Amino acid sequence: MTAYGFLTLTLVFCLLPFLWVVLASVDPNASLFLSVPRGITADHFIKIFTANNGGRWFFNSLVTVAATTAVVVIVGGMGGYALSRTNAWWKRPFLYAIILVRVLPPTALIVPLYKFMLIANGLMGALVRRVVPPYSTRAAMQIFGFVDGYLGLILVLSAMQLPLALWIIKTYFDLTPKDYEEAALMDGANGFQRMHRILVPLALPGLGAAGLLTFIGAWGDFLMPLTFISSAELQLLPIGLFRAFQRANTIDYGYLSALALLYMLPAVAAFGLARRFLVRTFTGGIKG
Amino acid sequence: MAMTYETRMAWQNRMLLVPALVLLVCFILIPAGAAIYISFTNDALNGFAASHPQLVGLKNYVRLFSDEGFWNSLIVTFFFVFGSSIVGQFVLGLASAMALNRPIAFRPIFNAAILLPNAVPEVVAGFIWISMLAGGKYSTLSRIVGLLGFAPHDWLESTPLLMIIVVNTWRGIAFAMILMTSGLSAVPGEVYEAARMDGATPRQIFWRITLPLLRPTIFLYMLVSTAGTIAIFGLIYTLTRGGPGGATEIIGIYIYNQSFIAYQLGYGSAVAVIVLGVSIAIGAIYVRVLKVQV
Repeated sequence: MTAYGFLTLTLVFCLLPFLWVVLASVDPNASLFLSVPRGITADHFIKIFTANNGGRWFFNSLVTVAATTAVVVIVGGMGGYALSRTNAWWKRPFLYAIILVRVLPPTALIVPLYKFMLIANGLMGALVRRVVPPYSTRAAMQIFGFVDGYLGLILVLSAMQLPLALWIIKTYFDLTPKDYEEAALMDGANGFQRMHRILVPLALPGLGAAGLLTFIGAWGDFLMPLTFISSAELQLLPIGLFRAFQRANTIDYGYLSALALLYMLPAVAAFGLARRFLVRTFTGGIKG
Repeated sequence: MAMTYETRMAWQNRMLLVPALVLLVCFILIPAGAAIYISFTNDALNGFAASHPQLVGLKNYVRLFSDEGFWNSLIVTFFFVFGSSIVGQFVLGLASAMALNRPIAFRPIFNAAILLPNAVPEVVAGFIWISMLAGGKYSTLSRIVGLLGFAPHDWLESTPLLMIIVVNTWRGIAFAMILMTSGLSAVPGEVYEAARMDGATPRQIFWRITLPLLRPTIFLYMLVSTAGTIAIFGLIYTLTRGGPGGATEIIGIYIYNQSFIAYQLGYGSAVAVIVLGVSIAIGAIYVRVLKVQV
């Protein structure tokens, strides 16, 4: 009985804050405060994709985070495989270093990272001006730039998520027997065939888990887009939402609530799918 | 001379690791090293020092020790970590894990409810808690305490530190619960049965059996959770930005504000180096204690 009482209280504590955002998103007269809507409307959700910047932010986030996930799965897949198969002296130090890297708070790295990105951006700018006609330099830098451009942000987000992905994928390859590979080798399969036909299918759950957790981490990340993206048209969803919410007097709470719900939906879905990997993740490294 | 299969594989493994290594070195290791260097300069985001940063020796560190803002941030961070991760999340997470370890109806619903706060992005969490806490008598919390006959407050103004502890507890119960559940599942049921046969009370069973057997899990949780809580930024930044008057300026926000609001990159980096040191120490203990299987 006490168990039910306690769990019910905890449930209320956990869910109560969501009540407002859910109600406000369908309330034609939404305010910052909890109230029962007089009517129900889908206007706020429609507005995301027809007016304002919400749809663009959502799209920007989707592109950046999808690219980050792809980079991490590929780079982490290669690295995780190598870490699993090698017996070299550097294996253990490398794995310990991964754990240590995971505890470094991103806030503590942000200043030198910013300087590093400025330098990289300068070099990339020089390169872009050489190969791209002047009228499209700006557009090219929005994609390939390191400060206020997507390439830099994607690489930084990838680096932040990579240690966990390496760890997970390595553990999965540890579980897949070497025999299959060797058999394929004996049968004359080349490197690409071995990867395509044997390794990727075997490691798919590991790659999937790493991809999901990368997606969750990068999708929710706030510090990196806050620091490295300044143009309004490049803005990602978390920062767009944050800035819109900071703007006094002209806040459209219904619209922002709908946007917040839309923003949390992919994260919650990915979290639901990744749930069974969480224990392994948390214990096999540091919370990320 | 043709390479043997083994040498070829060894080279292949090294080549496969190169992209990962490049990313980690460029975006994590070099910045971590550069933080140490920048912390010895007067580097800034604007003014003369921005274009001509100079080495200033230990000046930033000396300033650190006499800076009230820094000490304030350390104290705030300590209470934040202690209140939310060591006490709040741990107690509620352990209790939830133990409650859900019994045959309980609606278990998936309770489970999902506890996991949800952990699944939402930080900005959304900040956003919905502003509605819970801000706005005096209109906030959800004020209305709830009003039902119980207490006066409304502007919670983020009157008790800001306590509120960010509550918010982070809310967000992190799931993490503690997941770890404690895996710890509990390793305890064989016969142990409890034997204790009950011997007439042990539930309280005795908890203090004499459950807790001691969970000790390794708890220790692991404390390390991981402390490191994770020190690294928090977005959750509190979206909620209070460190205010009012530095009352919720946890160390991550302090570094950010010093560097990008006050433009003092050198000084911000000195703070960052201290945080890096603490985090690496926690990580080193973790690696040692866990004797991680690799």
